[in-house]
Amino acid sequence: MRRWALLAAVAIAAIACGGSTTGGPTTGSTIVLGAPLGLTGSLTKESILTQQGYNLWQDWINARGGIVVNNVKHPVTIKYYDDTSNANQSAVLMQKLITEDKANFLLGPYGSAATATDAAIAEQNEIPMVEANGAAQSIFNQGYKYTFGVLSPANKYLQGVIDMAATLSPKPTTIAMLSADDNFSLEVAEGVNTYAATKGLNVVLYKKYKNGATNLSAEVQAAKAANADIVLNSGHLQEAIAINKAAKEQKVNAKIFAYSVGPSTPDFITALGKDADYVYGGSQWTPQVKYTPAFYLSVAEYVAAYKAKYPGLGDPDYHVAESTAACLALQRAIEKAGSLDPKKVRDALAALDVTVFFGQVKFDSRGINIYKPMVVEQIQNGAHHTVFPDSVADAKPQYPTPAWDQR
Amino acid sequence: MIATADSQRRWRRLFLIVGAIVAAYALLAPLTSLDAAQSANVPLLADKFWFRIATYVVMFVVMATAWNIIGGITGYAAFGNVAFFGIGAYTTGMLIAKAKWPFLVALPLAPILAALFAALVGLPLLRLRGHYFAVASLGVGVAVGELVQNIDYNGQPVFGGASGLFLPIYAVGHRGLFFFYLMCGAAAIAIAVTWWVLRSRFGYGLIAIRENEEAAAVLGVNTTAYKVGAFALAAALTGLAGGIFSQWNVFINQDNAFPIEYNVQMILMALLGGTGTVFGPAAGAVLLQLLIQFLGGSLPISIDLPFVSTEARPIVAQVILGLLLVVVVIFVPRGVIDFFGGRTRLSLSYLRRSLRDTSL
Repeated sequence: MRRWALLAAVAIAAIACGGSTTGGPTTGSTIVLGAPLGLTGSLTKESILTQQGYNLWQDWINARGGIVVNNVKHPVTIKYYDDTSNANQSAVLMQKLITEDKANFLLGPYGSAATATDAAIAEQNEIPMVEANGAAQSIFNQGYKYTFGVLSPANKYLQGVIDMAATLSPKPTTIAMLSADDNFSLEVAEGVNTYAATKGLNVVLYKKYKNGATNLSAEVQAAKAANADIVLNSGHLQEAIAINKAAKEQKVNAKIFAYSVGPSTPDFITALGKDADYVYGGSQWTPQVKYTPAFYLSVAEYVAAYKAKYPGLGDPDYHVAESTAACLALQRAIEKAGSLDPKKVRDALAALDVTVFFGQVKFDSRGINIYKPMVVEQIQNGAHHTVFPDSVADAKPQYPTPAWDQR
Repeated sequence: MIATADSQRRWRRLFLIVGAIVAAYALLAPLTSLDAAQSANVPLLADKFWFRIATYVVMFVVMATAWNIIGGITGYAAFGNVAFFGIGAYTTGMLIAKAKWPFLVALPLAPILAALFAALVGLPLLRLRGHYFAVASLGVGVAVGELVQNIDYNGQPVFGGASGLFLPIYAVGHRGLFFFYLMCGAAAIAIAVTWWVLRSRFGYGLIAIRENEEAAAVLGVNTTAYKVGAFALAAALTGLAGGIFSQWNVFINQDNAFPIEYNVQMILMALLGGTGTVFGPAAGAVLLQLLIQFLGGSLPISIDLPFVSTEARPIVAQVILGLLLVVVVIFVPRGVIDFFGGRTRLSLSYLRRSLRDTSL
């Protein structure tokens, strides 16, 4: 009996909703967005975070009836395909989304390689693609007009740490840079190498290692021999953990340990326990940042919305946030263009300048967002705190890092 | 049971008719995308997505047909042919992106460089036989990809390194149509070369090597020159496909220019179609690549596999491909062309005989 009552209630609700949306003159055609993602394969974890970010926005915009274009509300569907973490397949599916599914606009895949391949597809079809997960600058140096990246480019990932180091006292002066050899990590490292000198810091050691290496004690040994004040790693979670362990074993007492990828994830603290303390990380976004959004949710509301939709996963990490930000950029551009015409929306994207919970979203002439600063976070007593820049920080950096035997 | 001459002819005729219709459709459908056809209200049979899939399919026709020359006709199971694909891709890629050559001038160098490289590594490699050659050639395939990514000069990657290589988008009208026909041209060359090889003294020498290398040598076949020649020929055709791929795909890196799975796929295609024949590998490539795209969910027609969630689909696709390999090797060891080509008839006794021959 109760089941019938429930069904009836649902039916009435459905009719009511249907009536309210179809009855008014304000509902237009559905906007189809397309995104190939590596829902299986080696990039599954990050791809799912990307999808969560897209879906959070989709729920929000459809709850409001859709994107408003000239007083007509267009509901949104995001069509996903699994590219099995394969860039070639990503390109095939991108073309399928454009041709078969008639996607109006495109959202990016996960990873620089897939983004590079898909950017060429978007360009040849003249359909705008807003992406949030391909930070390699080479994508944006091709003169493409239809690819926009809301995230800070790779070369900025550790520049925040350099900026922060320049404000500390006693000021650290020497840097040891350990980098993986994949395109993203190398761009992060090159970014530091060219930027450090402008802040009066010296890169005394630059060592590359094979992407995915598990034993990095030789590299850490070299950093110790160089006696650097700052040990930087541009790599991935597992490598950051390996470096931190080796640094403890070999008693490398640098004043700053900072890693490009790793410290922001909960796995880092789980794997290292107390040894994770004092470690700095570069991050596109943290749940502590303070930005005043022009529309959509505030940072706190966003974190709450994420936890409500995906309970048990903790705070959203920056992959989720930047993916949502890509949707927001597209939404605002469509509204500003007042049209679903891909060329007009492209022009609106190029002219976009808006601040959302993720930070400022504005594209340079190449289509990458160089205006949003990277933030620096530090693990303090087993918790993440944003320590730089001051305007968004929720804690002061604990500096210098104490020696391993004095912790 | 031997099929009667009458039913042989019937099968052969059927195969030729079906093949001709498929080929004619594939070659003519793109023309409906031309402006003239569109303004004359001809229905559009080939959109950009059709071109993307079709160009992949034809690319594999080239690679499987090329593999057949060394693997099928000469009997040397090369597992590293993707090295030649990558060398072709990077040759045109470097010439266009760094030296600013026009695409059509750069393209002929792709097969030349791939063939030179094959001749160079072929001299020591082709002294190995059986599994030893297979494993060594696989090693070359992997090593070339790693080298291309990691060679530095003055601290700068020579071949674009891990960032890959971007080519300018080729400025030509009807880009999809252009690259499709270009790839078809490469396929036509590959098939014509195979046809010629099988009718030449060179080809008879290769077959003799496959059947009994010592006996061939005794009969006066210069086995080293013949084997290296076959290897270089296969490499040239594979390199040509790679050269076209690089400009078509615009972006190349280690992952898409040296994909390990292509090694297995081109062999499986040749096996499925029928090794040692002219059209077998091509037929196998079309069938298998369409199956791969279908299982990957990128064809317009798609069915839900029962008991399989969408997340598990790519994994199930791999399992199906693996099972197919087993079935093909055990039951149709001479490929589908064997019965479609009219030599035998597909029947229960044929499958039983194949099973007995594999001594399982």
